[in-house]
Amino acid sequence: MSFNGGVPIRQILVALVVIPVLYLVFNIYLAGSFLVALAMLVVTCLGALIYLCDWGYTYRYLFPGFLGFGLFVIFPIVYMVFLSFTKYSSQNLLYFDRSLALFRQETYPVGNATYTYKLYAQDDGSFILYLEDEKDPTKRYASEPFELKAGEQLKEEQEPGILRALAKGEEPKGKALEVAQVTREKLFIPMRGRQFSLPDGTLVGMQGLQKFASRERLWTINADGTLTNKKDKTIIRPDFKQGYFVNDKGEKVGVGFRTFSGFDNYIRILTDPRIQGPFFKIFLWTVAFSAISVLSSFSLGMLLAVILEWKELRFRRAYRTLLILPYAVPAVLSILIFKGLFNQEFGAVNEFLRGIFGFAPEWETNPWGARVMILLVNLWLGYPYMMLICTGMLQSIPDTLYEASAIDGSNPLVDFFKLTLPLVLPPLVPILISSFAFNFNNFNLIYLLTAGGPKMVGGGIAGETDLLVNYTFNIAFRDSGTNYGLASAIATVLFIIVGFLAWINLKMTGRNVKI
Amino acid sequence: MNAEQKVLVRKVCAHAFVIGFLILVLVPFVMVISASLRQGDFAPSRLLPDKVSLDHWKFVLGIPYQEVVNPATGETRMVKAGTPPLLWFWNSIKISLVSSAGIILLSSTAAYAFARLRFKFRTTTLGALLILQMFPMVLSLVAFYVILDFTGQHLRLIGLNTQLGLIMVYLGGISNYIWMIKGYFETIPASMEESARIDGASQFQTFIRILLPMSLPIFAVVFILSFISYMSEYPVASVVLQSSDNWTLAVGANSFLYEQEKLWGRFAALAVLSGVPITVVFLLCQRFVIGGLTSGGVKE
Repeated sequence: MSFNGGVPIRQILVALVVIPVLYLVFNIYLAGSFLVALAMLVVTCLGALIYLCDWGYTYRYLFPGFLGFGLFVIFPIVYMVFLSFTKYSSQNLLYFDRSLALFRQETYPVGNATYTYKLYAQDDGSFILYLEDEKDPTKRYASEPFELKAGEQLKEEQEPGILRALAKGEEPKGKALEVAQVTREKLFIPMRGRQFSLPDGTLVGMQGLQKFASRERLWTINADGTLTNKKDKTIIRPDFKQGYFVNDKGEKVGVGFRTFSGFDNYIRILTDPRIQGPFFKIFLWTVAFSAISVLSSFSLGMLLAVILEWKELRFRRAYRTLLILPYAVPAVLSILIFKGLFNQEFGAVNEFLRGIFGFAPEWETNPWGARVMILLVNLWLGYPYMMLICTGMLQSIPDTLYEASAIDGSNPLVDFFKLTLPLVLPPLVPILISSFAFNFNNFNLIYLLTAGGPKMVGGGIAGETDLLVNYTFNIAFRDSGTNYGLASAIATVLFIIVGFLAWINLKMTGRNVKI
Repeated sequence: MNAEQKVLVRKVCAHAFVIGFLILVLVPFVMVISASLRQGDFAPSRLLPDKVSLDHWKFVLGIPYQEVVNPATGETRMVKAGTPPLLWFWNSIKISLVSSAGIILLSSTAAYAFARLRFKFRTTTLGALLILQMFPMVLSLVAFYVILDFTGQHLRLIGLNTQLGLIMVYLGGISNYIWMIKGYFETIPASMEESARIDGASQFQTFIRILLPMSLPIFAVVFILSFISYMSEYPVASVVLQSSDNWTLAVGANSFLYEQEKLWGRFAALAVLSGVPITVVFLLCQRFVIGGLTSGGVKE
């Protein structure tokens, strides 16, 4: 280990980073996330070793980048693949433990004592609950101050709050909130999750919005993992295949939980007609969209590049600057601008077409109109990049080649197809492939321009112009039955397709330039 | 027709084609400017506004203005944006600048290791970087949400709805840039660094003092390209940033175009005010970008 002029700068820097991180790790451990804390500890130790020991020299350059890459690229992929083997949707949203805890929280009214209540707001933002027996108004109780977050559903099971009897004439501190106010400020939502115990030990909880009543837990948990309903004595058991608790008749009870489902999600893509139909249709459109986008923007870009390479043409620089404008403007803005221009009723495109040709295509409601619009917009967005790349390629061809061909009495068209294209195309193939892969996942364009519309008839949430990536996004985040498991399976398939393209690309470039 | 006339005809055709095409390319921009200055909210459809009003610009700049509520009675009310929309532009600039700087830092060091140092699985890792980056960021959203929700519980600065959290997510996307910078490093002969090593410089010193200063052009390219891509990033920003004072330009601009009520005028004003500076900067730097794209193109 070397010391720079006596001051161990490196060691001090490592300590300055490691100590706060260790403090954070400790806090995370205390908060109960043991595995995360352990993983962080391992990574921290590895990092410290790399920066302190001589053998780690090479990795000092790689560590920070790989940390970010691992967390935000690799982890999401692993997580996605993991989710694709689970049943995880809005119906099966909770972990098993949470689902079980919900059963344990369920109570039912027992006895016939009911109480009216008030909440007393304290100066520090906490609340005191005040109860008064409806039949015997001398029986009054008050709780200790506790926290309530308006509108928030309680996630964890709370210890019952303690209620003490109030002496005659004694009033709780603070400002009283009537029931109407409690309802309006959505304080009843967190209140529902709370239980309170009277001095004699009976539990009370909210009954409806107006009252409190004494309650008892509805379910007893048996040793074999089944639950017994105390009211009607039915028994339910967890079914890990369905991700639900079921009773003897096989009916689902309560809310579902997340569970492993093996290859179910993948099989669904292949066999479930509601998924399979749209999936293949969307797959075809995705391929067609990517291929046409690449070919059209490449052809146009190449054409413009060739014209602008013509040395005798004046204003070439000005033309080129103006032509790359679509590349310079943030794509989000241009896409949204086109959404306005192609507006079916009031947009500029249709006003123009109506004025000149007397017809107005349905860019929004007709699937083919929408597709043509998307391809046109993507051409507008994509040709400058191709033009720039082609310009670079053309400039690398020595002029002597053309001079030789001119002597042979050639014309520009023959020159281009016989001379330029064969020279330029091979090194361009990787760029065309990566452009294809980019368009394959061109989420922004579709999401902002058509949002997938128009809707596919009988396709559920699938839209006629959705790309696979948009379809997946809709299944995960927009579907009425938010289905993360299925979305993850489609995402995995998508990743394999695009990853395969990237791999081919890599092999092809590997031949040209050694890595 | 002799040869000279032939060339002349060709020239006229070329000019006509390029100019005709340029009109198609430029008309949308003109229409947006006109929509931003037009009274009322209309989809961009005219080259010149019929009734000029600066209301939309005032709204975007956060300046209060009078709006006629009822034309019959002439009743007006004051309108002022709750969050001045230009703040979104500023947020975007901040986030993109910091992310791009971070990207340069992370990818240049990693690229150095790949270009100059030898270690196990070097080529495999390089390939894996490229393939893994193909996974669309949109589909990582669930995982991003889980990560940021967790970090937010322990470090409020990098949780959900924080710009720092978004920057952290953006810093993951380095692999394309590693490839670009590595390609450039490899075009610089290692002999200078070797002779410096003989003169007693440490490896790190040769990286900082010799290689980095020689590689400034590629850093300019990477900076501009990543800056542009972050300025336009929509899906991740829309999920991570929830409150409107944190939004980026992309999220804010889209928020004007609800399905029910499309505020084209305000959108157009925001697009002009934020699009123009970015475009100007890009055009000023275009020499770098073109050089980087084409050289990267040959190499990758």
